[in-house]
Amino acid sequence: MSNHLAAGGSGASIWLQELFRRHYTKVVTWCLRVAGDREEAYDLAQGVFVKAQRHLGAFRGDSKVSTWLYSITRSECLNYLKSRCLLDDALDDDVAEALPDDPESRPEHVFELHSSVLAARALLDRELTDTEKRVFILHYGDDVPLLTITRLLGLENPSGAKAYLVSARRKLARVLSRWRASERLIA
Amino acid sequence: MAQARSRERSLLRKALSPSCACATPLELGGLADGSLAQPAATRLSDHVSGCARCQTELTLLKEFENAAPGPDEEGAVSWISARLERRFSEASAGPSPSRTDRGAALPRRSWFTALNVGGFALAAATLSAAVTIGLREGRAPELAQPSATASAVLRSAGITPLSPAGDLDAQPNELRWAPRTDAASYSVQVMEADFAELWNAETRDASIALPPALRARIVPGKPILWEVVAKDAAGRAVAWSGKQRFRLRK
Ligand SMILES: [Zn+2]
Repeated sequence: MSNHLAAGGSGASIWLQELFRRHYTKVVTWCLRVAGDREEAYDLAQGVFVKAQRHLGAFRGDSKVSTWLYSITRSECLNYLKSRCLLDDALDDDVAEALPDDPESRPEHVFELHSSVLAARALLDRELTDTEKRVFILHYGDDVPLLTITRLLGLENPSGAKAYLVSARRKLARVLSRWRASERLIA
Repeated sequence: MAQARSRERSLLRKALSPSCACATPLELGGLADGSLAQPAATRLSDHVSGCARCQTELTLLKEFENAAPGPDEEGAVSWISARLERRFSEASAGPSPSRTDRGAALPRRSWFTALNVGGFALAAATLSAAVTIGLREGRAPELAQPSATASAVLRSAGITPLSPAGDLDAQPNELRWAPRTDAASYSVQVMEADFAELWNAETRDASIALPPALRARIVPGKPILWEVVAKDAAGRAVAWSGKQRFRLRK
């Protein structure tokens, strides 16, 4: 047993310390998967905990500590990816190489053609598998690099998220060419 | 060309970003563990079942909940953890005027204690209506329900404090609580009304004597708070007493 006059300042609740410690490894592991480099992951994880501390007043007992920590980790990681401009155009080129040489098959084009956001979402929903949707949304919606997506979703196939993105784009291209064919028929 | 491409990218981003109907990560967590209240739960689960964006977020949340370092990550994760721990214990060991006049620092303050967190949480969550963080742009901050404070929820993890409590005629000699069979040890903390820590200790018993130096600081009229956390043999917290309050009558 150790009895000490404690250091001053406002005391941390030992209960909350324990709760946070339990989820510590998750945050560090997640940051490592996002950054892919231990030095950067260290900075990122440190930022998460500093932010968690700063916003602890906003923690509500009605959400789980881990969910609350996740929401902070998530926004810190997206900010990190944005600030690093990690959008991997090289990988994008790889993806393009695996596809037919048709600029109109690019997903950007698909969505421009059917510029309704609802139609675009419905198209994704109907044509893609769950994993393809997730990869597509994270890559094109949040600018998450393919390698990071592979790690975050725990994809174990040889080329990871890239394979799913390629097959998603192939499917969308096929749908698009069917649409164009039917438009020609109608015309 | 590059311009057209960036225009296309931004269009795509818009199509794939969360809409105003989409759930926040906190709401998704509540939906997943069944803690989200009605009618929000029904409204959101209807939305999530048809929304690829929300399902993507839910998948990520589940991956996070289960995140454990793989064989190729273990080395880096323990390197980062050790470095964070060191970084924060160094930060807490640094001299500061408010510390030196309060006596010796704890032998090994964790990074978490260094960050000085819990007091804030309970202060804000139990004493005032906490405003949630606007994690997503364009969301109006919500007011916490008074019934759903951190204190109320954590208290349900149950450890019954016995004494002292309320207004006292004589200075207390010890803190007492009901023992738990699953507890191997207890951590105790005594605080001022603003959660500034006065003293903490560890014990295997369901009571602990208050040292003279602490008792000297329990003066008539001054409210004092205390709490106890039960820990299992592995040192994990299994129950919490909530913050108890007492005061020596003037
Ligand atoms: Zn949604």
